[in-house]
Amino acid sequence: MIPRAVLVLAIALACASSAAAQALSPRNASYSIDVRLDTRARTLTAREILTWTNITSASTSELQFHLYYNAWRNADSTWMREHRLTTWWRSAGARRAGDFAAIDISSLKITGGALAAIDLTQAMRFIAPDDANEDDRTVMAVTLPSPVGPGQTLTVEIAFTVKIPRPFARTGAVGNYYFLGQWFPKIGVLEPTGAWNCHQFHVGTEFFSDFGVYDVRMTVPRGWLLAATGRERERTENADGTTTHHYYQEDVHDFAWTTSPDFIEHRARFEHPGLPPVDMRLMILPEHQSQATRHLAATRAGLRHYGEMFGPYPYGHITVVDPAWRSATGGMEYPTIFTIGTSWLLPRRDPYLEDTVVHETGHQWWYGMVATNEFEDAWMDEGINQYANARVMAEEFPDGRMVRRFFGGFVPWVLDDVRWDRVIAGEFRDDYQGSPTVDVPSTPSFRYWPRTSGPMTYAKPALWLHTLERALGFTTMQQALATFFERWKFKHPRPGDLFQVVNEVSRRDLSPFFDQVYRGSAVFDYGVDGVTSTAGEDGVFTSDVVVRRHGDGIFPVTILVTLANGEQRRFAWDGGGRWHRVTLEHASRATAAQVDPDQVLLLDTNFTNNSFTTEPHAARAATKWAAIWMAWLQDQLLTWAFFF
Amino acid sequence: MSEQTATVTEQRIGARAALAIGIRLVNRAPVVLACVIAVTVLTALPFSMVMRQALASHLGNSMVAEQVAQGVNMTWWTEFTEQAGTLGRTFQITIIGFAATLDNISTLADGGARPASVLWIGTFYLLLWLFLSGGILDRYARARPTRSYEFFTACGVYFVRFLRLAPLLAIVYYILFAVVHPLLLGSMYEALTYDVTVERTAFYIRLGLYLAFGALLAGVNVIFDYAKVRAVVEDRRSMIGALAAGNRFVRRNAGRVAALYLLNTLLFVGVVIVYALIAPGGESTGAGMWLGIAVSQIYLAARLWMRLVFLASETALFQGHLAHAGYVASAPIGRPEPPIVERAISPLEPRI
Repeated sequence: MIPRAVLVLAIALACASSAAAQALSPRNASYSIDVRLDTRARTLTAREILTWTNITSASTSELQFHLYYNAWRNADSTWMREHRLTTWWRSAGARRAGDFAAIDISSLKITGGALAAIDLTQAMRFIAPDDANEDDRTVMAVTLPSPVGPGQTLTVEIAFTVKIPRPFARTGAVGNYYFLGQWFPKIGVLEPTGAWNCHQFHVGTEFFSDFGVYDVRMTVPRGWLLAATGRERERTENADGTTTHHYYQEDVHDFAWTTSPDFIEHRARFEHPGLPPVDMRLMILPEHQSQATRHLAATRAGLRHYGEMFGPYPYGHITVVDPAWRSATGGMEYPTIFTIGTSWLLPRRDPYLEDTVVHETGHQWWYGMVATNEFEDAWMDEGINQYANARVMAEEFPDGRMVRRFFGGFVPWVLDDVRWDRVIAGEFRDDYQGSPTVDVPSTPSFRYWPRTSGPMTYAKPALWLHTLERALGFTTMQQALATFFERWKFKHPRPGDLFQVVNEVSRRDLSPFFDQVYRGSAVFDYGVDGVTSTAGEDGVFTSDVVVRRHGDGIFPVTILVTLANGEQRRFAWDGGGRWHRVTLEHASRATAAQVDPDQVLLLDTNFTNNSFTTEPHAARAATKWAAIWMAWLQDQLLTWAFFF
Repeated sequence: MSEQTATVTEQRIGARAALAIGIRLVNRAPVVLACVIAVTVLTALPFSMVMRQALASHLGNSMVAEQVAQGVNMTWWTEFTEQAGTLGRTFQITIIGFAATLDNISTLADGGARPASVLWIGTFYLLLWLFLSGGILDRYARARPTRSYEFFTACGVYFVRFLRLAPLLAIVYYILFAVVHPLLLGSMYEALTYDVTVERTAFYIRLGLYLAFGALLAGVNVIFDYAKVRAVVEDRRSMIGALAAGNRFVRRNAGRVAALYLLNTLLFVGVVIVYALIAPGGESTGAGMWLGIAVSQIYLAARLWMRLVFLASETALFQGHLAHAGYVASAPIGRPEPPIVERAISPLEPRI
């Protein structure tokens, strides 16, 4: 008879082996955290056990941790300094003394693994690897008594307290609403070279960390609803009037949670042929209750389209959080949970809600699973996601209209004549068009000029990905991104990895294009200079079309010439020279010409000059819109005259 | 209360009656309405021509113009505004239909800025409006037709006086918009909504602050309006005196003044709501386009009519307060007779 202990051990080993076989990620940074929320003091008191494995081939004699909440400890942190360079910092409103944050580690001990147990609390020190800012405490380093070699594991126990801020960067508390992201000491990423990738917190960039298993117990006042990364495993009612919620999630690289007594919970299930089912949970506030179906429908759309385009969503559950007004939270992604800020007055045809939900759902793929370095390559997750998000919106919600909000942003007005447009509204072409050269995308994202990091991070990559879609075809583009996803999910790819996959799948060397859009700040602008026709004695017209490259960017383009009899001829131009002439001899004269008639090159900063007609309609168009503008001006004058 | 005072009080007209008289006065003087419409159109037209030129120049020989003539082409639109000068940058999609009205009222309510070019146009227009105000008030105060010579002479006479009032008005509005507005809808709104987590609550708070600021604005507006009315009706030369008199009238007749203001505001809201329902978009072409432009212009004419009703009803309310209804202190301004007539009238005048 097999002894019982041996049987239990065998089963445990089998389970562990099975679990390891099913592991989707390296799971080299796992956390077990017990945290208690004090809503009166707005503090967290927590104990964290980090199990970290060195998965590189280099040794390290130091650990580095992110202490993100210290970004709002004082006005001189790097985040706050950069914040003052943005355009929105004034509108963020004044902060009261108690609104700032802090994360303080009271004890840090090595408790197991490759090194002997030791208290390293006194060895902790703050470092500022990005800008040597002595007032920045967002990165903490601790020197180990001896190096941790490749494959070795350490267990680190950390006791810490957090002062929760009024929301900064979409984390914090206001009223009874708490959203806690980046709230715990989080280990940086040890690069294959043995160097730590642990940047300070910057205003324009987000996060980067390794995958692991999160096992978190959160104690909050009884009656408060709570949602977090992962699934709830257990709920314990405590004698002191609190409830402990135990959440667990494997193969993620972050953990966020939210709690409020005001939430109303909705549950639904996503099911679609060929895709794994997903339990959807919506934590919505009462004033947005009527929009719950929109939240869930958009989440479904995101799960379906991203699942079909790139690969299935493996976690089986997703939580959508409706943040409180004044929480300064729009959309923000965390593994298996995201926020989506909406408005009390939201017209049916305003696709803002759907757009944000789809975007944040999409981040589960681009950020959640394909865990790019958001400090250095923020455009990778945001850009790819923006591109895909805009495509989903165009397919799924084609009847959206542009909306403008008035009276402090409270009152929306739907512009019936202005359709929600994939390129303009979805990919922010106007943002890019206004600032195509503000930064070179290959610059580490945290070094982008804070005021204009948006166009480089969202608009430009979305536009060049869409350009590739139009040039290579959607099927190729989808296959390329699906391959990239499949190859790099639960890993940390770099831009070169994406370029390599796109080249491989498209079977083309697109390096010159990537050089221009990623390693440079080339401006693309092709235009038709003119169309002239001369009649010959034989009745044959010789028509000349001159096309120019006004920018420094080069892209092969098509030239479409339209003749007076309606016939059209297409010509290819490699786009290399400064100008190019097309000469055509035909019984009909040329009446119009277009360069890039299909608008493949969406990075072209001026589409108006892409065409030329010998029978222009500018006067008619100008008269119409000048008359409409005049009515606006008259209205403005009357508004003022009312009080004069 | 003496019997005489009681009789006078009974003779005072109420807000509804004043509004009715105001409407009647404005409708019986269509030329005045035509004049202010013409002034508004002629003020905006040259700048509209500049805008037209900018649009036509940007479109040039582009085939995009065909689509732009049909409706909204956002790709072109964003390129135009990106490349345009300060005036061109006002060419936003909020110029379309009713969004234009919302945009203008909202910008005023939120203390938003306009480009300098638009502010200069506005200043020019307000000066024109100030010039016309004297003639308009004189016309409504006398409640009988005046010839253009008389109308414009009154405009000239009172323009000089109103110009002395204008700096006071500018100072008060500056204080309202540069000091009070940031205090109410900036600091106070921030403080009141600091811990508000429900958007609807914040909206009601903002609405309350809009009403508070609107009440201040309306208060200033009526005091200055009645100052102008008294300056014209009582032929006042001192604008400080007229302002004090206007203020006195408003204080002593606060209920009726407020009621009239409210009625006029409701009239304004009514006009705006009707326009919200029928405002043209930007997708029509040909006859539809011209119809849309006509609808916009009719709406603007209705706004001007409403502003005139405002002035006329305020004049009527003030005159209704006087012992003799329809009283105007100054003699009608007449065209000077030709010299030959003067000689005939004054045969004893020494000849030169």
